[in-house]
Amino acid sequence: MSHTVVVAGGNRIPFAKAGGPYARASNHDMLTAAIDGLVARAGLAGERIGEVAGGAVLKHPGDFNLTREAVLSSALAPETPACDLQQACATGLETTMYLANKIALGQLTSGIAAGVDSTSDAPISVSDPLRRILLKASRARSAQERIAAFAKLRPAHLAPQAPSVAEPRTGLSMGEHQALTTLRWDIDRAAQDELAAASHHRLAAAWDRGFFDDLVTPYLGVTRDAVLRPDTSVERLAALRPAFGGPDGTMTAGNSTPLSDGAAAVLLASEEWAAEHHLTPWAKVVDAEVAAVDHPGGADLLLAPVGATGRLLARQGLTVDDIDLFEIHEAFASTVLATLKAWQDPEYCASLGLDGPIGACPPEKLNVTGSSLAAGHPFAATGARIVPTLAKLLHERGPGTRGLISVCAAGGQGVVAILEAV
Amino acid sequence: MGRDVETLEALPPMGAAFAKALVPSRAGVARIPAHAVRVDGVVQDLDRLADYARVCGYTLRDTVPATWIHVLTFPLHVALLGDRRSSVRLVGAVHATNTMTLHRPVRATERLSLEVHVENLRPHARGALIDLVGRAEVGGETVWDGASTYLASGMEVPGHPATATDREQWEPAQPIARWRLPAHLGRDYRRVSQDPNLIHTSRIAARAFGFARPIIHGMWTHARALAAVEGRIPATYRAEAAFLKPILLPGTVGLAVSPNDEGLRLAVTTKDGAKPHVLLGVHPAR
Repeated sequence: MSHTVVVAGGNRIPFAKAGGPYARASNHDMLTAAIDGLVARAGLAGERIGEVAGGAVLKHPGDFNLTREAVLSSALAPETPACDLQQACATGLETTMYLANKIALGQLTSGIAAGVDSTSDAPISVSDPLRRILLKASRARSAQERIAAFAKLRPAHLAPQAPSVAEPRTGLSMGEHQALTTLRWDIDRAAQDELAAASHHRLAAAWDRGFFDDLVTPYLGVTRDAVLRPDTSVERLAALRPAFGGPDGTMTAGNSTPLSDGAAAVLLASEEWAAEHHLTPWAKVVDAEVAAVDHPGGADLLLAPVGATGRLLARQGLTVDDIDLFEIHEAFASTVLATLKAWQDPEYCASLGLDGPIGACPPEKLNVTGSSLAAGHPFAATGARIVPTLAKLLHERGPGTRGLISVCAAGGQGVVAILEAV
Repeated sequence: MGRDVETLEALPPMGAAFAKALVPSRAGVARIPAHAVRVDGVVQDLDRLADYARVCGYTLRDTVPATWIHVLTFPLHVALLGDRRSSVRLVGAVHATNTMTLHRPVRATERLSLEVHVENLRPHARGALIDLVGRAEVGGETVWDGASTYLASGMEVPGHPATATDREQWEPAQPIARWRLPAHLGRDYRRVSQDPNLIHTSRIAARAFGFARPIIHGMWTHARALAAVEGRIPATYRAEAAFLKPILLPGTVGLAVSPNDEGLRLAVTTKDGAKPHVLLGVHPAR
């Protein structure tokens, strides 16, 4: 690992609620828009980039080469290679690390990491029995065999299958899992609503001060995140009914992320490449760690980043006091609050094999320009939204300032990364 | 130009104007209207644009393809050729060439002023040629213009046809893509283009005009070819298309692409590349 990897830019389209202004846009359309906006801003039209890595959580079978196809539709040189990666909600951060590692090793000098998701244009598939019948019929060598295959068809087989948000091993949705975590960590409703309100207010303030002017490109008439409610308040959020955890639950539609549509991209490069292209490096990628927990065995589904955070800080010889900004993905307000509690819990941290608790995160350093509750959370795009946002925030604060990103993901997984301003 | 401009309240709806434009003319002598028709404040329908992009193979972007603006001006073509001052009817007129220029990227959310007139009525060996000239403006700035040359078969114009055009020599090309055009493509494109010409959807109508089966709209082929190379098209561009031989539906055709000094040369050909259906040149707008 001899080369310094820098974040030299980023671009996303404004995020929107499912079924909203991007209802007619596909993953391909949105990913192309995010890449093209980045290409235009960084002056990369016609340029051959080392590699583009992107992904989507909800993917149509025809999109097996989603990212490469988006590259071909974009203004990048058609000789730019691409690959698809997927790690649930951590996809955008995992694509960042995949390319950062290649650049660090000297295999590449530039890369674009991206993520996209459309819950509006989610793939619908056929039932397993129908799929087997269709495959059998397509292999049939005679009309008789074909008829025999279709003779097994039953009306119930025809029901279309929407993608499920339930964990395959537990049958619980992510919200239901998080409701268990919320209870276990004793996270109260008021704290969740406060965090949600702060997310909206901070994101709105960042938009108002023009922070996103060089991070977002309008798409299909949407110029700001369409999920954002600048005028929301703790009082308004307190009026919402529980969505998860039963009638006494504390998690509502207001303190949980909505299903969203959107795409984001990050420009990564070696310092030399960034200089040659007259791009200001915002921050360097220091290190990252991926982790998982045994959620079928009862562990908290969305707390995998806690162990990764402890190990990553220890490996870098850092403590939370060395971190100037924290970006903890707001899957749910209670995910962030449980994560922060877990960081300070000696027993929990010991159970992860860490040498003592990670420590406390001062609220004024957390998600300072809001996060997923206000911006929305197109699953695979979130990591690629956070990386340039944090890199630019660190750059504003000056060289040497450090930031930590923590993203939880389905399957009991998570990715954590550290950036440092250059 | 001193041309009278009739400003319409809105784009003419499907119906009367279309019906009139589709009624074959009994007149033998070609006459064209001298006025232009114009509509201001045209809002682009994002749903229809998304549908258009799907049918033609374009990525749905914040900026629109030049061929989409042509489609938006189409009702004005119909209005002009359905006018009583026109003896040339849309039905039976053959789209021979199309040239359009996108002068600056146009956002899907911009309101457009569209204006179309007919000019340059001239004799041709097989009838009369006319140019339908369109312009799209945003806030007084011309953002797009285009000209479609139609051949009105069998119609008369005083004078002698220009000597055979110097159509470039066709060299068989190796297609680098194969498009399989399904039978329903004619209906799909009718939905997004709103061009009701039955020749694209009905076998009976197609037969009446001498085709064994419905033929795909030339502007679909034009759009599909641009979509095939969309990543290589500059932000502002000029596209010139010559429609040489109709494509029957369903059907399979090839696409040959070759870069030249000016930009890209595209040929939609027979499956084997032996004969051209549509020839296209795309280059940066000057």
